[in-house]
Amino acid sequence: MEKYTLIVTEKPDAAQRIAQALDHTGKPEKVEKNGVPYFLAHRDRKLVVVPALGHLYTVVHERGGRNYYPVFSFRWAPRHLAERGVKQIRVWIEMISRLASDAEEFLDACDYDLEGSLIGYCILKYACENKEGVAKRMKFSTLTKSELEKAYDEPLPQLNFALIEAGKTRHEVDWLYGVNLSRALTLAANRWSGRYTTLSTGRVQGPTLKFLVGRERAIQCFVPTPYWNIKAEVELKGSTYEVEYERKEIEKRAEAEAIVEACKGKTGEIRKIDIKKFQQGPPIPFDIGALQTEAYSLFGYTPRRTAGIAERLYLEALISYPRTSSQKLPPIINYRAILDALSRETVYKNLASRLLEKEELKPREGTKEDPAHPAIYPTGNLPERVLSDPEKRVWDLIVRRFMAVFGEPAIKQSIKVCIEVNGHNFYLRGRQILKEGWMHFYKPYIRTEEVLLPPIEEGERIQLRQVTREDKFTKPPPRYNPSSLLKKMEEEGIGTKATRADIIETLYSRRYIMDERIVVTELGFDIIDILRQHCPGVISVELTRELEEKMERIQSNSGKREDTLVEAVGLLKPLLEEFKEREETIGEALSNAIKKARMQERIIGNCPNCGTGKLMILYSRKTRKRFIGCTNYFKGICKTSFPLPQRGTAKPMGKNCSSCGWPLVRVQIRGRRPWRLCFNSDCPLKEERRKRNEMQNLQQGSLKKIL
Amino acid sequence: MKCRICNREALKKYCELHEKAHKNIVRKYDDWKRAADISWKEYLNEIVKNPYTGSWAKEVAEQLMKNEDR
Repeated sequence: MEKYTLIVTEKPDAAQRIAQALDHTGKPEKVEKNGVPYFLAHRDRKLVVVPALGHLYTVVHERGGRNYYPVFSFRWAPRHLAERGVKQIRVWIEMISRLASDAEEFLDACDYDLEGSLIGYCILKYACENKEGVAKRMKFSTLTKSELEKAYDEPLPQLNFALIEAGKTRHEVDWLYGVNLSRALTLAANRWSGRYTTLSTGRVQGPTLKFLVGRERAIQCFVPTPYWNIKAEVELKGSTYEVEYERKEIEKRAEAEAIVEACKGKTGEIRKIDIKKFQQGPPIPFDIGALQTEAYSLFGYTPRRTAGIAERLYLEALISYPRTSSQKLPPIINYRAILDALSRETVYKNLASRLLEKEELKPREGTKEDPAHPAIYPTGNLPERVLSDPEKRVWDLIVRRFMAVFGEPAIKQSIKVCIEVNGHNFYLRGRQILKEGWMHFYKPYIRTEEVLLPPIEEGERIQLRQVTREDKFTKPPPRYNPSSLLKKMEEEGIGTKATRADIIETLYSRRYIMDERIVVTELGFDIIDILRQHCPGVISVELTRELEEKMERIQSNSGKREDTLVEAVGLLKPLLEEFKEREETIGEALSNAIKKARMQERIIGNCPNCGTGKLMILYSRKTRKRFIGCTNYFKGICKTSFPLPQRGTAKPMGKNCSSCGWPLVRVQIRGRRPWRLCFNSDCPLKEERRKRNEMQNLQQGSLKKIL
Repeated sequence: MKCRICNREALKKYCELHEKAHKNIVRKYDDWKRAADISWKEYLNEIVKNPYTGSWAKEVAEQLMKNEDR
């Protein structure tokens, strides 16, 4: 049998692209056995490109069983032995093992980062039986043909073991924290109440929830302070402009009233005109965090969604590897070739040509570096299929940002006109872009508006058209949203670029937080309160950051995996012992919190009849059927109740009916699309729908007669 | 001792969460008095109506409106 090189990749899409790039005809043969695809390609020799499905191996407890803690002994094992619903992993590993047995050489072509390196290492070590020492490493940042060919022709002589050690340590430390703390919480609640609810916390999850709780407390305890603004308008050459008073905040109402009185109906005089020209440099290239933030503010995509879209664009060789923290674009990526290739797309033709006319292309760069990958950039490839709207948007954003970083600084002008009215100063401000520079390339995503002023001169008299006092209040600190929370995690140095978005999603799925403008639930509060009281170390940001730094040191070969693990166990052990001693008290507190949270989830909204009670999903003791009832029923005040469908799930939507204003319920029956139910029998929408149906029936009846 | 508002464990009248809100209410009264020259009762009424007041602060203000003492 012909010997071959086995190339291990992270995902099926990447395997296909690598096989296509390396095969001398560009058409590798796709083979599929037991649902596992792999590709046969021919180059200087036969190549077999086999994909993984992300991580095929994970950390598991050596002994098994779930109902105890602490657990400190672990090993690496196939994922199907540890997780439910991943049976295909077994077949996948068997197939890779079979292909490895006839392979002569091994090449790791997984993503060149912490996770990718670990995925490749585990496959080579466990599925290919200790080939991690002989395997070579392909290193690339895009899935383009030229870069893949180069990575194949000039592979690194061995795997990056420092990266692998760092990856292993991260998974092991996270497992130690996650499994022990989550089990401690879940078991404490379960042993007290006898009911099972999954509760979790982790090395990064706990401190992240702590930020949110801190912000929520500040919002809920907030008491606003009043202040006043003076709003005025002036007329200039036939147009009306808003002007601002010299002091933004006036602390006393009486003083604000006096200013209004003094300026009402008066004419002002232009005392001074300040004109400032300034430059605004181009933006820096996207790292993953900046891309997620920009996509959130422009399109409202959550960080996880953006990461998913970027990953798809990378697998289609449209952009470079997105999980990077670099803000640098090295010349080796060949700026001109990329721009040249992008100019084939009509939309970018003029933009790219404009940049290509420049003698030298020098990007503006940020300070952050990533040893493995440059900042995110378009490869120059054009889509081979019709991209979905979100994909199109993110790709366009990356392309335009890439072009913008090569642009000239924009030149702007700001004008500040000081108008004196009866001893009080008002400012009229104008903004103008004199030279677009980089903004020309990034135009759709720029959010500044110009305010153009007519020609004016110092000493000119101006009529104040309107002066009013505005009542204002100080506002509470803003709520975090998924994007600003991600940024906060980045600033605090907790989590990694690959895990932060998933941790935020976990907080949502555990129901510790809700809504886009994040609100911490009672359960979230109670979890943090309990952890703060009984094991504060678990939610300590400093501790998490220290561990992160230690793991980074392993990556740069200046720290050891064993030392970090020993330290992690040393920190955890006393915490868990203390937790166990107080398990009963903690269990009671957690059970009460869960009970409260469950009750909260059943509240639909305010009762439209009595106005003081809450409508809730309740279950009849007699029939066990569910219905909606008012909480005031138990006080003997209100007997409002409504029927509910008995099949499927019924949950409060948190929204009110657009027609009658009553709260809505979301009903979902398995296999059918969910629908929103307004349980007000007199809702005008229902009447409209009834009439529409009647009309349709009538029309159908008359059509039948004609036919 | 239980919190007068939410029944959580309390050191004095309120639990830790409502105590913080209470302190804020008392502290901010001076600012309101200086700004708008209003009485304690009027102040409580204002902050209960205000959309920016946090819900725990509102609960404490409502409680204070029912009871005369601060």
